[in-house]
Amino acid sequence: MMKAFALILALIPIAAAAGAAGPDCSVVPGWTQKGPARSYVADNLFEYMDGNAEGYLIYGFQKMQGVTCEKDGDTLVIDISEMADPDSAYGIFASNRDSQQPTLPIGMAGQIQPRRAIFVKDKYFVEIAANPAKDHTAALKAFVTAYEKSISGRTTLPDALTWFPAEGQVKDSIRLIPESVLGLRILKRGYVAQYDYGKAFLVKEATPEAAAGVLAKWKARIGEVRPAQLGDEAFQATDRYLGGLYVFRKGPYIAGFANLKPETDGAPLAAALASRIP
Amino acid sequence: MSDSTRRDFLAAGLILPAALQAAPEPAAKADLRYRVLGKTGLKVTTVGMGAVLITDPSVVARAADLGVNHFDTARDYQGSNSERVIGPVLKSRRDRVVIATKTGAETRQGVLADLELSLKELQTDYIDILYIPGRKAAAEITDELLEAHRIAKQQGKIRFTGVSTHKGHAEVIPAVVKNPHVDVLESSYNFTMDPSIEALIESARKAGKGVVTMKVMAGGYKNGADAERRRGAMLAALKWVLRNPNVHSTAVSMADTDQLEEDLRAMAEPFSEADRKVLLAQLEHIGPLYCRMCGRCEGACPRGLPVADVLRYLTYADGYGQFAMGRQKFLALPAETRSVRCGDCPSCPVRCPFGVEVAKRLHRAQEIFG
Repeated sequence: MMKAFALILALIPIAAAAGAAGPDCSVVPGWTQKGPARSYVADNLFEYMDGNAEGYLIYGFQKMQGVTCEKDGDTLVIDISEMADPDSAYGIFASNRDSQQPTLPIGMAGQIQPRRAIFVKDKYFVEIAANPAKDHTAALKAFVTAYEKSISGRTTLPDALTWFPAEGQVKDSIRLIPESVLGLRILKRGYVAQYDYGKAFLVKEATPEAAAGVLAKWKARIGEVRPAQLGDEAFQATDRYLGGLYVFRKGPYIAGFANLKPETDGAPLAAALASRIP
Repeated sequence: MSDSTRRDFLAAGLILPAALQAAPEPAAKADLRYRVLGKTGLKVTTVGMGAVLITDPSVVARAADLGVNHFDTARDYQGSNSERVIGPVLKSRRDRVVIATKTGAETRQGVLADLELSLKELQTDYIDILYIPGRKAAAEITDELLEAHRIAKQQGKIRFTGVSTHKGHAEVIPAVVKNPHVDVLESSYNFTMDPSIEALIESARKAGKGVVTMKVMAGGYKNGADAERRRGAMLAALKWVLRNPNVHSTAVSMADTDQLEEDLRAMAEPFSEADRKVLLAQLEHIGPLYCRMCGRCEGACPRGLPVADVLRYLTYADGYGQFAMGRQKFLALPAETRSVRCGDCPSCPVRCPFGVEVAKRLHRAQEIFG
């Protein structure tokens, strides 16, 4: 049994290698590698990016392969990070994208700006930073296109993203929060979407019972809550920092809205969200 | 460092002369402590909010309402989204808070361009401390970067220049001390480090530099420790840092209000014997996971084992659950190296200055990978 387990574990990197090879400068004609290739794992990522490494580890960072390419005095710093799973890879992408710029259909999602391109495909998060300061869009597009083709795997967004009602949703605002959704430790990991009138959240617990337990703790912590018409455990409340709250449970999911303005009725919004959660 | 020296280092927190202990400050909304950040004159809470993991503005708002007044972010934290989260919250409290950010740009033009973006995202007219981050060598504090900071100061867009360092302390900190254009040092500093860091930190404080610390929990241990023990160790580690009067403030990553409230306790509670025991236990737990790659064991194995490399491979398996990766790396070693068995040697001459039980760990690596 142990040997079989060890064998399965030993095969993991091979499977990963099939998903994404290390970055290669020659995929775009005219570009050559500058210096040695880079490779980092969780325990030495700090050597590469100092304090920013925490922002990767929290999304289940596994390893990073990188290379710097140059052509005619321009350089591209290219890094491909392997995360724990496609959801986590989307999570780090959403956390790092420029929320004021559009998201493009590259792999699962991507962004190309004059000096920076990022995209996510399957469990891989690809980042390219360009120097010096000028518009590198053409080169970035060429590399993104090449790498997008070279990485196999999932191109569809995590299912949970489609559960948030579209009406009133701020475009490209859904994030995977890897810890402490709404800044609360009891809400361990989940999605948050911004709306014109507040924000929706969705947290999955292991079982319906566990979700009910979390909800009960949260209610107790808030203290003064009002019942809500969405199942037995739903509640409304007003929190100093989270504003108007409308919270419900559906199976193992805890979901609802926060930061609702006083004039906003959370009931129809929560009902719409609940109806989309399977 | 030997175990006994490490224990002495931890115990040092208990025997600082009373005169050197920070004088209690009047409590604000929480039981806060403040220190003056060197010659900058900025009076900051000894625990500051490190914003690398911040995702919800409610945590920033609560921190500010509780009286935390030191917020530390960076242009590249979450692709600038950290600045976007904290900026709107601190806008209405701007006159009561100290905002520090960082740009990794290496040119004058790049620094000034990034500064404009930071000002926009942080919704402010000025940055209190702009750091030149992640310096590993004195030569990396370049005249060009300092010139960019001089221009920004002249324009009123930054008040003070900082330099941060995660490694290379022995070279970078003396360079900061000597450089009149650098106002603040931000350095990694924690209970696992070599005691030589103490004199370096003290030299910065004596030179009038503001001293901010980070990585109080020795960096990448988050994945390696269970949550409850880690939280207990976090508080003790934070108190260990703050027991040093040469440290003015520390930037602590906070993701939620629970952690915020736990971290704030560290300001008012002294480092105790119980804390020392917690940290010793934590050291024991993480020691084998924390090969510092200092290189001092290089060439020490008479059988030619690359000791630090094998310890690192074991870290992949034991510390981060990456057994396959550790095994793969181990199997890539030359056959004669892989065939070495530490049990064949009557004694092991390899000694880790940081207390890693080298022979025991190598033996384990050979057992599980070999």
